[in-house]
Amino acid sequence: MTEAATTPPSTTPENPWPVRVVSQKIASWIARLGWIWVDGQIAQISRRPGASTVFLTLRDPSADLSLTVTTNRDVLDSGAPNLADGARVVVHAKPDFFPARGTLSLRADEIRQVGIGELLARIEHLKKLLRAEGLFDRARKRPLPFLPRRIGLITGRASAAERDVRDNARRRWPAIDFRIVNVAVQGPGAVPQILDALAVLDADDSVDVIVLARGGGSVEDLLPFSDEALCRAVFACRTPVVSAIGHETDVPLVDYVADLRASTPTDAAKRIVPDLAEEVRLIGGARQQLRRRVTQLLDREQQRLDAIRSRPVLARPEAMVDQRETEVRALRERGTRCLSHRLDRAGGELEHTLARLRALSPAATLQRGYAIVQRPDGAVVRSPDEVGAGDRLRVRLAGGELTATVEG
Amino acid sequence: MSTPELSYEQARAELATVVEKLEAGGSTLEESLALWERGERLATVCQQWLDGARARLDAARTESE
Repeated sequence: MTEAATTPPSTTPENPWPVRVVSQKIASWIARLGWIWVDGQIAQISRRPGASTVFLTLRDPSADLSLTVTTNRDVLDSGAPNLADGARVVVHAKPDFFPARGTLSLRADEIRQVGIGELLARIEHLKKLLRAEGLFDRARKRPLPFLPRRIGLITGRASAAERDVRDNARRRWPAIDFRIVNVAVQGPGAVPQILDALAVLDADDSVDVIVLARGGGSVEDLLPFSDEALCRAVFACRTPVVSAIGHETDVPLVDYVADLRASTPTDAAKRIVPDLAEEVRLIGGARQQLRRRVTQLLDREQQRLDAIRSRPVLARPEAMVDQRETEVRALRERGTRCLSHRLDRAGGELEHTLARLRALSPAATLQRGYAIVQRPDGAVVRSPDEVGAGDRLRVRLAGGELTATVEG
Repeated sequence: MSTPELSYEQARAELATVVEKLEAGGSTLEESLALWERGERLATVCQQWLDGARARLDAARTESE
């Protein structure tokens, strides 16, 4: 086979292969694949009345790929009588080249519809596998931004999920911006569309968080959200992914892989944007607290400063001078008092002396009628012997002086 | 005496020291006067800081309202 792929066939413009040769060669290559079991999803089924052959379109659940299956009506009726679009089947078939049209189909001789029980068992198995690979690890979860610049929303067109996420997010934060990608959220085609949407939103730098939202549905409806390719794509996203699938009780595998699992689309809105009113209230509270604290601090410092300034040494600085002035005044008074005391005493002494002086004076004696006789030279005559006849004498009386002459 | 460069805490601490010295007494008149003048200057510095802080607070408040 490798040889055939690498060796160019020996054809030239002059020696080309006829269509039948090419057709025959392709048919023989394809026939080599033999009988195989194929897992797929029914995208379309056409039973033509009267015709014994039934055509089915079998597609890959995770990718936009499909093959045509042809089978006998009996095979279908015995293996999967109630087959409808979207059903999962396992087909035993042989790839078959139809030379008349150059088309390829799988010719099936057995078709088994995969029941919901088996699908769930497969999901359980896949869950173990992904967990073992670390796709659910808490440490691998990326934190959500506090306030995303833009929210990427993947959801069904005009769905309740879209409305719930968008309206609730806007109610909390009116200026929030969305980039919404509408996809099929169930049935064949859902997974490939969601994968495309994830790729687009993850590549958009302005998208800070991606929300995968879908309302409630049957177990079959939610199957795409347990798809392996989808889980791996979500895990590979650089942008944080929030899953909001179905109701509280629905837990598709993507919920384990997502960075955050919201129980419902409304819950997702609450988790991805903060509540503006609440934030404003918190900031307001913090600001008030801040002001109160600073004002308290200033008031306390003012009190301390006032206390220091009211201390007498600062409040009454003149006391510093007053005190000294008092001392000076006291000293001066002491001085004055001391001096005047001394003057008083001196005055007293003077009077006393004067009195004594006056007591010693002869004036009082003279007053009583005594006289003092003096010679002209002033000497007091105390005895008649001291004078001779004819001597002139001065006689001093209380009322004045007179002169006398000694007669004998 | 680079008074304007003192922080509020430095000014207040020095003011407290000055007051203690004045209260303890024992200084000459000239020294006491110098201490008192220093104390007054320090108290003014403290008050300027507090007034300035209040003004800034009021300005911020007006701005945010």
